[in-house]
Amino acid sequence: MILIHCPYCDEKRPEIEFANAGQAHIARPLDPSGQSDADWEAYLFIRANPRGRHHERWRHIHGCGRFFNAVRDTVTDKFETTYKAGEPRR
Amino acid sequence: MSDALIRHEPVTETPFVAQGVRISLAPPMQRHTLRARNAQDLESLLKVKIPRKIGASEGGIMCLGPDEYYLRSQAGATIPTGEGLPVAVADVSERSICLVVEGPRASEVLMSGCPLDLSQFAVGRAARTMYETVEIILIRDAEDRFHVEVWRSFSAWLWMAMTMAARH
Repeated sequence: MILIHCPYCDEKRPEIEFANAGQAHIARPLDPSGQSDADWEAYLFIRANPRGRHHERWRHIHGCGRFFNAVRDTVTDKFETTYKAGEPRR
Repeated sequence: MSDALIRHEPVTETPFVAQGVRISLAPPMQRHTLRARNAQDLESLLKVKIPRKIGASEGGIMCLGPDEYYLRSQAGATIPTGEGLPVAVADVSERSICLVVEGPRASEVLMSGCPLDLSQFAVGRAARTMYETVEIILIRDAEDRFHVEVWRSFSAWLWMAMTMAARH
């Protein structure tokens, strides 16, 4: 079982307490109605699918309940780091 | 229609006893979930100390998340609702029941389904976690006594799973 460091609980917790919530650092456009269809499509559906280092949102759903960001390697499944939501990209 | 409401427990009230472990249903109690961005607001409301660190508990109040606290008190106890304060207080007494797992094999039985390392889980700690696929709140009451808070609808299965683990 993988242990994931929760930045809120500040300890490593078993992976079954966590849920993946997709790619991180995707900001909702401030003016959705001003978006072109292509921009809006890109915001809604187009996601990076890197081989290697990937920024993801995770949620400690069966723990403290908080969303946070993580850098995970999609090849080795190793978590490089985790940090609180709202903190700058690492 | 009967005017008396009859309490119906989702698991048997007869304790389960096996070699080195005893699993029993705790008596009904009052449970409140408390939310506040600043724990100080809750402190001024309840006039008690609120633990700040996630996983810590103090005087029946445990800190489950950055702004989430869980209070267990005697059945029938009431607390102020915090009107006008930036807090949320909700009575969730009947949402869950509490199973008491005690005895020298208590942590072994719990670790059959709970992925936390309970040898590192100090007395007084409380955490929301999992037992197999069921979400629980685990509280270490004493070295060999744990409280397992579980939602009513999951409790029959949890009882079955833990008593089965205890039999082995």
